[in-house]
Amino acid sequence: MATINSSLHNLLSLPSFSSQNAPIFSLILQSKPSFTSLSTSFSHSIKSKPLCRNVVVSALSKIADSEFIGFPDGISGVFPAEAGVYAVYDENSEVQFIGISRNIAASVSTHRKSVPELCSSVKVGVVEEPDRTALTQAWKSWMEEHIAVTGKIPPGNETGNTTWVRQTPKKKPDLKLTPGRHVQLTVPLEQLIDRLVKENKVVAFIKGSRSAPLCGFSQKVVGILESEGADYETVDVLDEEYNGGLRETLKKYSNWPTFPQVFVNGDLVGGCDILSSMHEKGELASMLK
Amino acid sequence: MGSRAGATLLISRANRIRTKLQSALEATVLEVEDVSYQHAGHAGVKDNPNNETHFNLKIVSGKFDGQTLVKRHRMVYELLADELDSGLHAVSIQAKTPKEIGGSG
Repeated sequence: MATINSSLHNLLSLPSFSSQNAPIFSLILQSKPSFTSLSTSFSHSIKSKPLCRNVVVSALSKIADSEFIGFPDGISGVFPAEAGVYAVYDENSEVQFIGISRNIAASVSTHRKSVPELCSSVKVGVVEEPDRTALTQAWKSWMEEHIAVTGKIPPGNETGNTTWVRQTPKKKPDLKLTPGRHVQLTVPLEQLIDRLVKENKVVAFIKGSRSAPLCGFSQKVVGILESEGADYETVDVLDEEYNGGLRETLKKYSNWPTFPQVFVNGDLVGGCDILSSMHEKGELASMLK
Repeated sequence: MGSRAGATLLISRANRIRTKLQSALEATVLEVEDVSYQHAGHAGVKDNPNNETHFNLKIVSGKFDGQTLVKRHRMVYELLADELDSGLHAVSIQAKTPKEIGGSG
């Protein structure tokens, strides 16, 4: 069973905090969407369920025992970059939303950025060994406590309220080079490739789709681009239906014999090795901007 | 004591890669590691009975001096063109100059 410890933080003053200097954590938020369903699907019916917080999350502090943490100016280190449950309070110290996250600091920063008027301070309960069950239990326990005290669900947790749920950008579809293999091309494939890499800032030719790359190197490239927060396009070189002949043509076009291949501003940057090396050296970020 | 053609067949791809890179790049460091086992079962590998499909290469050569990473990789790929055409599936390349590794070369 997971052990859960609470993390108490001191109350801090609340200087103004503009959205410009809000830290951006697009990378670390990736695991969040899988949990948002928990909060959005929550309904009044849970009121009637027996309280069970003392069973699993006995070490998690109650909301009442946790301290407020305010938002300092542009400093992200105040909130733990760990998994756990958090409650967001507005300026009237009303709970607006109770959420769980794999990275509390990142989630809280994102909330502050998207709805600053509703984020005045936060209470945090870190969950150690945060498997899904432990996180869910922690969330339930805080929700139940809140409901027991106030008799209502935090507005942000009401069914249908999407204020706090990250508007998950839909994963882009992979680009298709041709309308399909039954359509006769009027321009050479090479020209289609040329246009594609010049019209899109970052293009990764990978094996498999961006949501399910079929080769470890392609997967790594997608991971790097995601972690850089890049706005990139992908083309599946294994898609015979829409990208038939692409592998051979692209090898000649780029003078590069293997995949994945990443293009930025129409130029080949390289494959997985080069991208990894640039990523590690921090050279990639400026190029992808 | 087979024919020359027979002998070539018996030389492993790893050795051919090593020879090609060594003679062309005059590498001061050349590591050729067969990592095909990591990719067993992967498309394009199954059909290859010899299964020397994936290699990690670590090359230090003065010939990389002044060349971008893309150019260095292309130099290696060009030297291995025959291998890539005959079942070599992917190589992971670390291409450095003696200066970059801080050695005397």
